[in-house]
Amino acid sequence: MNEIINLKEIEKRSYRAYFQTGVYDVAFGVLILSFAIAPVLRDVLGLFYILFVIIPSSLIILLGMKYLIVPRVGIVKYGEKRESAKKKMRIITVLSTTILAALLALTAAGVFPGFIGETLSGVMFMLIIGIIVIILMGFIAYIMYFKNMLYYGLAIGIGIPTAEFLHGVVGAPLDSLITFGTLGTLLLIYGLVNLSCFLKKYPIPKEEMSNENSG
Amino acid sequence: MKTQDKKAIDDVQPLTTVDKVIHEPARLNIMAHLYVIDRADFLFMMRQTGLTFGNLSAHMSKLEAAGYIKIIKEFVGKKPHTMLKLTEKGKQAFDEYRKQMKQFFNEI
Repeated sequence: MNEIINLKEIEKRSYRAYFQTGVYDVAFGVLILSFAIAPVLRDVLGLFYILFVIIPSSLIILLGMKYLIVPRVGIVKYGEKRESAKKKMRIITVLSTTILAALLALTAAGVFPGFIGETLSGVMFMLIIGIIVIILMGFIAYIMYFKNMLYYGLAIGIGIPTAEFLHGVVGAPLDSLITFGTLGTLLLIYGLVNLSCFLKKYPIPKEEMSNENSG
Repeated sequence: MKTQDKKAIDDVQPLTTVDKVIHEPARLNIMAHLYVIDRADFLFMMRQTGLTFGNLSAHMSKLEAAGYIKIIKEFVGKKPHTMLKLTEKGKQAFDEYRKQMKQFFNEI
């Protein structure tokens, strides 16, 4: 062991153990791909389309953690500091998602047409929302020591105004399909490569270790 | 005894009193990992420290014998699971070790 013991670095590395597996990249790739087909789903399913946007990526994280990650990485419980950071992150996520969803819903319901038309163009408004998404996800990335979260934020934050801009050029649903389809596919491919590398590097341990773990 | 010789002996004094159980590199690595988290299972420790199963097992036994770590049996879902945790004695010993090493490197 030649490296210098750096407690801060060890702490960060242990926090990132579950994140650097590709599962989150795949889940966010699928989430962004869901945004691509969201307008089509909305036409078919009405408000229920939201479930089809959220459920697949959530399932990937839950099942991926249970069947792929934990059996290979093991189980860790973090101390109070980390738990407090996670609590903060949950509060920020819930608050920001609620505010953004309300803003988008009000916009879709036509509450701001005068405001948007007179003060901000549609693209500018979506650009502001995009920037808010990037800042929030960047903040979560900082709290969680998980820099990929910032990349997901960038993909979504850039995608929102881009789709709005394309809406004026190609119309719906091609605007979302092109923007989020491209971003989601790229992230999904990146995630699948990461995940396959992880699965290859960390096979499920042999029986003797399972016995040790199960006591 | 000359003053210079006495100074040299005083300089290395912290190293002679350093905790030998922790000073071994693999055990220091294990202690450092358990210091920054609350508890972890054997597999997590193996992945994080890069130690083999046998190596980790042997070092864990020594740390447990010294009273620096404790083994907790708990249920994860419906399965019994063995978790490893740094004891209060282990935390204090690690803090003391860090203090001694810092002091030593500050003085040379």
